[in-house]
Amino acid sequence: MVKKAILCVDDEEIILTSLRDQIKNHFGDTYMYEMAESADEALEVIEELDEDQIEILIIVSDWLMPNMKGDEFLIRVHEKFPRIVKVMLTGQADEIAIERAKKHANLYSYITKPWDESELINTLKAGLS
Amino acid sequence: MDNNTKGTILVVDDTRANVRLLAGLLDEQGYNIQFAFNGNMALTSVQRLLPDLILLDIKMPDMDGFEVCKRLKEDPYSSNVPIIFISALDEVLDKVKAFSVGAVDYITKPFQFQEVLVRVETHLKLRNLQRDVEEKNAELGQANQQLSKTLADLKATQDELLQSEKMAVLGQLVAGVAHEINSPLGAIRASISNITNALDYSLQQLPRLLTLLSPEERADFMWLIETITCNKERLSSRETRKLRRVLKKTLEEYNIDQSHLLAERLVEMGVYEDITPYLRLLKHPESMFIVQTAYNLYIQKNNGRNIMIAVKKASKVVFALRSYARYDVSAEMSKANIIEGLDIVLVIYHNQIKRGIEVVTNYEDIPPVLCYPDELNQVWTNIIHNAIQAMQGKGRLEIAIRRLEAMPIDPASTEIDLPTSTNPCIVVTIADNGPGIPLEIQDNIFKPFFTTKPTGEGSGLGLDIVQKIINRHNGKIEVNSQPGRTAFSIYLPVKYETKLVKNK
Repeated sequence: MVKKAILCVDDEEIILTSLRDQIKNHFGDTYMYEMAESADEALEVIEELDEDQIEILIIVSDWLMPNMKGDEFLIRVHEKFPRIVKVMLTGQADEIAIERAKKHANLYSYITKPWDESELINTLKAGLS
Repeated sequence: MDNNTKGTILVVDDTRANVRLLAGLLDEQGYNIQFAFNGNMALTSVQRLLPDLILLDIKMPDMDGFEVCKRLKEDPYSSNVPIIFISALDEVLDKVKAFSVGAVDYITKPFQFQEVLVRVETHLKLRNLQRDVEEKNAELGQANQQLSKTLADLKATQDELLQSEKMAVLGQLVAGVAHEINSPLGAIRASISNITNALDYSLQQLPRLLTLLSPEERADFMWLIETITCNKERLSSRETRKLRRVLKKTLEEYNIDQSHLLAERLVEMGVYEDITPYLRLLKHPESMFIVQTAYNLYIQKNNGRNIMIAVKKASKVVFALRSYARYDVSAEMSKANIIEGLDIVLVIYHNQIKRGIEVVTNYEDIPPVLCYPDELNQVWTNIIHNAIQAMQGKGRLEIAIRRLEAMPIDPASTEIDLPTSTNPCIVVTIADNGPGIPLEIQDNIFKPFFTTKPTGEGSGLGLDIVQKIINRHNGKIEVNSQPGRTAFSIYLPVKYETKLVKNK
């Protein structure tokens, strides 16, 4: 059974499922694919997977979500799981937030919506290697 | 009139001696004299230089004085020149005729020169006074025209201000609105790619599947495809993993291989409650291939649905933008749904709201309101914009709409006198839980150019515009502010009544 996972976080379901299908199409059954509709749900998922000893390799997270924003979320994840590769995927560049995430969450990459498929996949491949 | 002389007088008489006599006497008095010996000459002279007064003989050959007078009075150019007839004829009938053709006076020959002089002076004075009045009238007319133009300009400027204020607000929101469009665009782009890939797989898989399955199995497969519902509720990550574990166990109990991968796909497709209809397929040696084929069809269907939702979202934003930016100055009042207007503004502000505002709406059923819908949208925009800024982007925004049987009367106001008992209205209350408006500035917030925002952020016109728009609707606005709750209540009459303004 696969013990490695990729987590997608976005408050819009259409983004989540289309993103998941896209990633899954490229990486197949090598990984598990998890989705969360908010930063809070994502933090829960991370805890659960950790309990189940499933290792999250990459998180692809939106920035603008209700309540906790992407940068804050990734910083919190980074405190506990510094090894997870963190990618931000958002429709709006908030420079300060990106800088903060780069500085405090070791943000691996920042991709804007609407994203280019090959850019996303290449980023993930590079992050996974 | 020439400043150097007392005025120009035209003397008309076919008797040259008379002309000479009168001209000589008047000349001595300082008048500028012209003369003519017959009617035609008189008309020509008037055309060349308009005199201030005409002394006109009645009895002349060819054209008599009456005819000359009539013609001069008919021409607007000369109609205002006073004409005094001088004639030996002193019958009553002729005097009446003289006045009826437009003369101002009548002197009979033989005349006393002092009489002529007094009458000439009097009529010149009258003529001058009349001319003064005419000039003043013309000036007034011009001033009036200028005022009307200024008023129209002001109105246009006000409309422009209204629009530019709206556009300034929009400018601040553009980045957020772009996000609202980029997000669905991202989903559409990814979904199309997913559909294309899944379709390629399906085209390879389906021919093989058809040869692989028996007619019964084929029927099972069709049943599976039909059951894959796209409208299922999305399961949380936790639920999904729990269902996967349960289904994996169930599959293992049936001795089905690759239980984990099968369970993952089946749960995603919404097949987890009862798998008995598909047991024949799941126990098939090629079960993974069969499920994967169904899964690829599911991907196409689900991503197609994603695109539908994304297009709807983007359209909603574009519609809101268009409705918001539209501004028809000449628009007539129309019946509109207030809630739809509020929704448009909330879509425009969705991005800002998402950053930390909780919106609580409480709408009663309300009838359509006769209003200027675009202008009301600006009212909601201004108040919601202020509320979000007051809360510094984080807090609770309450929007309530209620019906009232009558517009409440403000005892302090003498301005509006509405037939309240027959005037049901609606109240829109927009409240924030920000720090409140300090008491000392509450009286100022509706004044033009009053702003508490940093230079460049607010024109200070927002609430002034709001007030004006609401006045145009015969409505009223109230503010109730204390630390922790600031509420603006807008009362709008449902049925438009002619506003009765007491003249102050």
